[in-house]
Order: sequence, then C-alpha cells, then structure tokens
Amino acid sequence: MVLEFTLLFNPLFNSIMISIISLNAVFLGLETDYAIKLLFFSFQLADLIIISIYTTEILLKFYVDPLNYWRSGYNLFDVLVLFIAYLPYTIDKNDIKHYRTWNIINGFQALKILKLISYNRGMRSLITALGQTVKTVIYVLVLLFLLMFIFAILGYGLYGDPETGDSKNWGNLASALFTLFCLVTVDGWTDFQNELDQRGFSASRAFTIVFILLGFFLFFNMSIGVVIMNIQVSWVSLILCLKAEKQAVLQAKKQAILQRQQEEVNMLIHQQKTSEYKTFSELVEDFKKTLHHSDPMVLEDFCASIPFIDLYLTSLDLQDNTVYSTLYETATKQSQTLEQI
Amino acid sequence: MNPQVRALFGEVSIPDWLHAAAFSLSFQSPEDASQTKAGSPFTLLPRADAIRSKLIYTFYLIDHLQGLSHAIPRHNIQDFLDPKKQRKLMFTDHHQLVRFNITPVRNTIITPEKRMRNRIQVRCSRWPPLTMWASWVLNSTIFKSFIICLIFLNMLVLMIKSEVMNKTDASLMSLKLTLEVTIWVILLIFIMEILLNWIVSFRGFWKSSWNVFDFSVTIVSVIPEFLDLTGITNKIAAMRIIRAFRILRTLKLFSKFRQVRVIILAIAKTLKAMTFILLLLVVFFYVFAVSGIFFFESYSRSDRTDLEYSMYFRDLPNTLVTLFILFTMDHWYALLQDTWKIPEMNKLISSLYVILWLLIGSFMFRNFFVAIMVTNFQTIRSDLAEEVKQIEAQKKADLFKIQIRERSQASGLEVGPGTEATPSAQQLEYKVVVKQSVKNLDWETYIHQNLQSLVEVNEDGQVAWPSDSLFRYFELLEQLQHNLEERKRLQHYAVMALLNMEDK
Repeated sequence: MVLEFTLLFNPLFNSIMISIISLNAVFLGLETDYAIKLLFFSFQLADLIIISIYTTEILLKFYVDPLNYWRSGYNLFDVLVLFIAYLPYTIDKNDIKHYRTWNIINGFQALKILKLISYNRGMRSLITALGQTVKTVIYVLVLLFLLMFIFAILGYGLYGDPETGDSKNWGNLASALFTLFCLVTVDGWTDFQNELDQRGFSASRAFTIVFILLGFFLFFNMSIGVVIMNIQVSWVSLILCLKAEKQAVLQAKKQAILQRQQEEVNMLIHQQKTSEYKTFSELVEDFKKTLHHSDPMVLEDFCASIPFIDLYLTSLDLQDNTVYSTLYETATKQSQTLEQI
Repeated sequence: MNPQVRALFGEVSIPDWLHAAAFSLSFQSPEDASQTKAGSPFTLLPRADAIRSKLIYTFYLIDHLQGLSHAIPRHNIQDFLDPKKQRKLMFTDHHQLVRFNITPVRNTIITPEKRMRNRIQVRCSRWPPLTMWASWVLNSTIFKSFIICLIFLNMLVLMIKSEVMNKTDASLMSLKLTLEVTIWVILLIFIMEILLNWIVSFRGFWKSSWNVFDFSVTIVSVIPEFLDLTGITNKIAAMRIIRAFRILRTLKLFSKFRQVRVIILAIAKTLKAMTFILLLLVVFFYVFAVSGIFFFESYSRSDRTDLEYSMYFRDLPNTLVTLFILFTMDHWYALLQDTWKIPEMNKLISSLYVILWLLIGSFMFRNFFVAIMVTNFQTIRSDLAEEVKQIEAQKKADLFKIQIRERSQASGLEVGPGTEATPSAQQLEYKVVVKQSVKNLDWETYIHQNLQSLVEVNEDGQVAWPSDSLFRYFELLEQLQHNLEERKRLQHYAVMALLNMEDK
C-alpha cells in the first residue's frame, strides 16, 4: 500500500504520465495524415504500448482504493477513455462494412488527450471552478431548448407544409430545430427569412424577429451575465484557495522554527538552573564587552528610528510639562489659600 | 500585549514562554537598584518586557549565552548586496549568516528628503547638470504636447504621401518634396527624444517597458530608410510591406497617454491570469481537430464536384482553421448542410460534432473569457485605487513629520531655559507651552491618529547604530519604563496628598 502511495503521488510519476500523454497526442496528430501513416508502421506498436501503460495505471489506482475509486470523476473518465481505446481492436479493420465505424471510433480516440487535465493541479482547480459555472450554463441552455421547442412546433405548423410552405427548413421537427438554432446564433438568418418571403409569408418577419430578440439578445446575453456572476465568485475563491495553501505551508515552517527555539531555550534554562544565579546585567556584561563602537548594526525597525525617538522624547517632555503645570498650579493655589488662612 | 506597543516595537514574534525565560534569567532586574522594598513583588511591565525581548532578539543573546556565537549573523543584507563586499564574503567563508528584514517595497515616491539631498548634490557638483536639464525638458508639458502633435502630423503626412505617391503629376513634385522633408525631420526629432532619455539615465531607460516599446517601434520604422540608403531597395520583394513599417511610428501614441497605458496594462494582466484557460482551450481545439479529421474523412475524400467546403477537413492545419471559423459561428449551418450531401456521412455524428463544438467553444469559452476579463478589470481598478490611497497616506505622513519637527523646534526653545528660571518666569513659560498644545489639537490624539501611518510608511527605514550604543539605548529605554512607572505612582501620591490638604 505504501509503495503505491509513494509511486502514485510522486511528482516524477506525474511528469512521466504527462510526457506519455503528449507523445500519444503527437502520434494521434501524425496519424491523421495518410502519407505519414503509411511510412511509420511503429504507430501501431506505440499505440499498444501506451494503452498498456494506461491500463497499468488504472489497475494500480484501483488496487489502492477499490471502493472510492468510482467517486472521482477523473477516474471514471480514465476508464471510459480506456474502453474507447480498446474498441478498435474489437472490430476487424479489413472488413469494408466496418470502415465507417472504424473512422468514428478513431475519431473518439482523441479524447485520450483530455487526460492531460488530471495531472496538473492548477488545471484541476480551474476545472472545479469552471464546473460550477457549467452547471448554471446548462440550466440556461435547457431553458433555451424549451423555448426553441415551442417555436419549432409553431414554425412547423405555420411554414412546414410541403406544398405551400418551406419544407426544407421547416418540414420536420429536426430541421425546424436546426433552423431555429441558426436564428439563435444569428448566422445567415437573412437567407432563411428571404426564403420565407419568397413563398409569400410576409408576416413571418414578425415571427423571426421576435424569436431573434428572445433567443439571441435575451438568452445569449443572459448566459454571459450568468457566467460572469458565477466566475466572479468562483475565481475569487479559487485564488483565495491557492493563497491559503501557500499560507499553510509557511505556517508549518514557522511552527517548526519556533519549536526548535523553544527546545533550545528549555535546554538553556536547564543549564542555568544548575549554575549560580546571575542578574541579567551581569550575564550580559561579557557580551557587552564584545560590542565595539565602530561595529554598525543596521536596523530597520521603527522603534530604533529617528522619528520615533523624536516623537517619544517630545511626548515625554509634554507629559512632564502638563504634570508640572497642573501640580504646580494646584500646589501654589493651595499654598496661597493656606497663607491667607 | 498592547497592540500599540507591538506596533512600535515591530513584530516581536518571540512567544510568551521566552519572556518568562528572560525574566527567570533576570530574577533581580534593574529594579534592585531602586526599589528593594521589603517584600514588594516584582512588577511585570509589558512595555519593559517588550523592550527586553527586542534586545534579546536583536543581539541574539540566546545563542551567545548558549555559546553558539558562530550561529549569529555577522553581516547585514547591505553587505551582501554590495558586489565588492559580496565577493569578499564569498571568498572567506561560505557558511556565514546574513541578517535581513523583509519589508514590503512600496512605490518609490520621491520624498522631500530625497529631493533636498539631490539639490545639495547638484549644487556641489563640478559639471553643469546635463541630466537634470534633459529630464526637465522631457517632463515639461510643452515638450510632451509638442511630441504628441508631431506624432499626429506624422500620421497625416504619411497618409497624404501614400495617396500622392503614385501620381506622377508635375505640379505635385513640390508637395512630394515637402512631405518627404517633413517625414525626415520628424524622424530626427523622435531620435533626439530617445537620445535625451538616454542622457537622463541609460540604465533606467531600459527598465521601463514603455521606453523599450518606444525604442523598438522607432527602430523598426526606420528600417526602410536604411534599406533605401544602402541601395538594396529593388532586390527585396517585400519592400512594400517594409515601407509600411513607417506607420508604426503612430504606435508611439500609446506610451504618451496615461489612460491608454492603464488600459494596456489591464489587458496584459488579464491575459496573464487567463493562461490556464487559454491552455485548456488549446487542448480542446486539438482534440476536436483530430476527431474532426477522422469523422469527416469520407467528406474530404469524396469525388463530388459540388462540395464547397471539401478542403475544410482535409488535414490538420485546415481543420484548425475550420474550427476557428466555427468558433466565430460563421456559416456553420451551410458547412453542416454541405456535409450532409454525402450519403456515407453519418448525420448524427456530424451534427453532434458541430453543435457540441459550438456549445463548448462559442457559448462556454467565450463567456468565460468575458467573465474573467470583467472580474480582472474590477480587481485592477481596485488595485489602482489602493495605490492612490497609499500615495495619499505617504503625503499625510510626510506632512505629519514636518509638523512635528516644527513643533519640537518651537517648544524646544522654551522647555530648556524654563527649568532654571524663577517661579514667575516658569509660570509664564509653562502657560505658553500649555496654550500651544491646546491650540493644535490634543497631542495624544494627534499622535494616535497618525502613528499607524507613520509606522507603515517608514521609508527612510535603515538606521546604522553603533552596536554598543544600541545596547545602551535598549537598556536605557527599559530603565525609562520602570522610572515612568515609579513617577506615575509618585504622581498618584502627590494628588492624594493635595486632595487631603484640600479636605483639611
């Protein structure tokens, strides 16, 4: 168990894994070019080696803690990526029927590169900080989808008729949703509007404009506002978290130093108790003899600086003055009254 | 311990058990001289306590008394930073200890003390102060506005020149000549400005990045002229582009206006804060690029001639550009519909790919960028406000110091002779002094208000004490505390006595 701990949490292990994943990423990138792929047969070999490394890592982590392994999202992602990595070996590449699925599965291999995120602490904290905002964005998206659904059914009913209407864009639910998504992202929406105009639906302008106002101006910018609100909170807490970590490390070091000081003084007291009592001044008499006038000590403390001495002496003088004045006055007054009596 | 006392004596981080140890060492403290009243308990004065700890801390007495005199730092941080002394140190013994204090480095504002010191230096120097004149010229408003006008004029002239350049009208010859001459004169003035900056301080010029920016812009914009002079003009194909570098001189405007500098600083800081997110974005770009090539392979390889976007997913550079196009949400639906023209293309995968990329890239990442910029701009603005506050605190502390000096000079003349004169003269002087302190607020509250700022803004911080004087100073200070305590008690007795007298 200890062995696994020392292995898994070793920074060297982290750097090795990061380099392997980047190597994998580079190979994936090179594989996309057909010419290079034919030149280097070793891509297959490298792929096999890398998959075996991933498998061993997952098995190690699983062995350390079988039950809590499934709680961490990064571990689940690792298992998923490994599963996807094994898929190409389950189908027969030379079979023409499977060519399309092979392409698709190869496309998903690229997810391996996302494993990089789990090895850098800064990235991890960033992902946690962003994760909160993603949740809120997803709620906004769900709302947007509802709105689109309503308008899609409206649009299908109004403009989806195959004879009188524009069936290409509004003919079925899927294409209607797509058209509406185009309107939300305001990409080429004037073309859609032109098509509807040509078919004589001049009132469709109101439909389009209302939907663009709601979908783009309202929802799109609302998502920006929501993200800004969330990021402010989570960014600040992220930075505070990092600062607190540094502070904790510093505190631990300070404590160690203080501990050492305490032990030394205890030893000194113990020593002193065995020797004869000396007053403080006698004790430091020898030390004082070692101090020379020409030996400068540069201090930056306020208590030894000139403004402080000025201030202190002036305050003392003023104190003296007030004391003398009040006491002297009362004393003279009293002596006068006494004389009168 | 009293927080004020702590403020006065710095961060006395020695814990209580050490105070106890210090006291156990000094069982019969300096009081044995004054108050050996039978059975009087040893009074614990917190201030004397703090001073004693400060003494122990400063002189490393613990180490000395333990016999570890080699563990005491003999050198100061100044010795270490001075290169000659540092070399000497490194040659003698590598295991020496250096004593230092970490003080936060504030904005180096020019204090009145520094100014006066500089004035003395200038008055006593042999040669006329060329650097002072150069910096006076550079910082004068006339010169600054002159340079700004020149930059605008330069821009205007270059614009006119680019219009007029290719027209070979004879009447425009004189215009072309004036334009050319103006450009050269302005360039010479810019170079002179850089030379003036160098005269002020060569090293200091390179420390400010705005100056480096200025310098590089001027040099780059001068390159076409040099190439013209050396005659390689017609051999370089990119001559037109290089000629266009002249317009870079307009960028010098950025370093002239304070508001523009603030904005550019804010943008630079924001980009630094966003490095992680940019890294994440790059990773996502790469992942989607590689998947995209595989997903759209049949689309890229198809033989149909009516595909508009067939090159878009062909290889890695093209795919990266396509992803950027999708990131800006431009013609994504047209691209998607184009891919649907191929029957082998899996519609689900392609539409899922495009829509997922739009959501992740465009929606989420763009919103993240906006949000982080907004947050960072707010923090940068509050940072700048804090800096302004610091400058004001500095000014207040300076004012306070000057007032104290004046006051101590004025009252010093009266307290001195007052102690020896006759009672009536004494009365007069004391009255005057009392009036003074009443007139200018209560001294105690005045100090209270300004003490904190004075402690923080202790910028002439380093005082070189001879070590035995310092030891004696601390001892005296501690003795003073005990004496003050005694006086307080005597005062108390005096007041009681007066009251008793009154009653009688």
